[in-house]
Amino acid sequence: MSHPPPPSAPPTPPAGPVIHDAWTLPSNDNVNPYAFSVELDGQWFLQKGKMIAFYGQVDFQGIGAGRLDHLIAENFHSPMHAADWVVAQGRGKMLLADRSYDINSYRLDDGNLTIRSGNLLAFEPGLSLKQSIIPGFLTLIGTGTFVAASNGAVHFVEPPIRVDPQALVGWADCPSPCHHYDHAYLRGVLGGVRAMTGIGGASGEEHQYEFVGAGQVLLQSTESVLAERATGAGPEPGT
Amino acid sequence: MPFTRINSKMIEAQIAPGQRVFSQRGAMLAYRGPVTFTPSITGGQGGLMSMIGRRVANEATPLMTVDVPAGPGGPGQTPSGTVMFGHGGHHIHIVDLTGETLYVEADRLLAFEGSLRQGTMFMGSQGGVMGVIRGQATGQGLFTTTLAGKGAVAFMAHGGVIELPIGPRGPVHVDPQAYVAHRGDVRNKLTTALGWREMVGRGSGEAFQLELSGNGMVYVQASEEKL
Repeated sequence: MSHPPPPSAPPTPPAGPVIHDAWTLPSNDNVNPYAFSVELDGQWFLQKGKMIAFYGQVDFQGIGAGRLDHLIAENFHSPMHAADWVVAQGRGKMLLADRSYDINSYRLDDGNLTIRSGNLLAFEPGLSLKQSIIPGFLTLIGTGTFVAASNGAVHFVEPPIRVDPQALVGWADCPSPCHHYDHAYLRGVLGGVRAMTGIGGASGEEHQYEFVGAGQVLLQSTESVLAERATGAGPEPGT
Repeated sequence: MPFTRINSKMIEAQIAPGQRVFSQRGAMLAYRGPVTFTPSITGGQGGLMSMIGRRVANEATPLMTVDVPAGPGGPGQTPSGTVMFGHGGHHIHIVDLTGETLYVEADRLLAFEGSLRQGTMFMGSQGGVMGVIRGQATGQGLFTTTLAGKGAVAFMAHGGVIELPIGPRGPVHVDPQAYVAHRGDVRNKLTTALGWREMVGRGSGEAFQLELSGNGMVYVQASEEKL
């Protein structure tokens, strides 16, 4: 898996706001740490409500709404998430953002990557989306680019490592994690009292996902999981 | 220093066998090596009386002890551990203390080295009644936590942190809501600029200011939101 270098400190900001138009917007690159510009020529899958602006001729089709059955049969294998996704079709530049979280694009070359479903914004056909066996995660398989959001910059680590479930964004090329339960502090007399009475509390760190093997694990710099928010209802049918 | 910064919201702590770090409960993101996490009943250092003091002062944030127990082969044979910390999407600031005292709210503490002495201070002891009012205005309450000695502290702020040195060239004025922490030999007082406009609800919104003078450093967050 290849990924861009983490966005370092932005270069010295020019005086005043930067004005982009359809030609100066970057093509398949970040506009700033919080917005990503897609050069659309064909189709992209995106999660509902993550498109903030576009230039050109783009139309958005709900998944399962007819015309794109062939594409969806090829690339979208998660009926559970079908209602949250749309296909953008056409030519133009499309800007993606998500609640001012950090946005990054990643490229897979005949690889696989599993990511928390709320963190994935968009992906190219060429990748195909499947549900992971870990609930709440989606797996992308194939070759292509995808765009993901995270609260704070993503940090890449290599196994062996144990990760707090909430800080996990995803993992690439390594086997699925297993649960690790740590109750080492419940030993001894004091630990017994604690286990029996609950006095002293829990450390909050009893449960981790344990990764072993070769690959990369993507960490989010915080434990607050991206909460799902209503992205606004579409127009009423018939209007 | 055992704390290194990974990015603005994430730090990494290297813990050698036998060493100890206190951290807010649930703030661990990931770890490597034989690290144990133990909830600290007393909520930090100093035994039972300190615990009671913290409880009374409402400065008892759930803390846990993070350490690498020395294995059977002795400290030299045990590998050291690496722990990553982060909490709630807040920005994290690392401060290296070399003998001075850091004054910070307990719920802003993310992690600190076990070599630091933890204490509780009554706001009234710095400025009397105005100190108490200052505590109310900054949202600190009547008490605040002190950390003294040699070691590193990581604390959280909403938005990025800027450091403003306090020197002989004059006092520094800080919005009480944007105040995060300060260290060193600093006198602080709350200054008010209340006039008739505030009374009729047409104030500037900057009626209260924290004036810090002396010798040290104040940490200010780029937000007026509390944690």
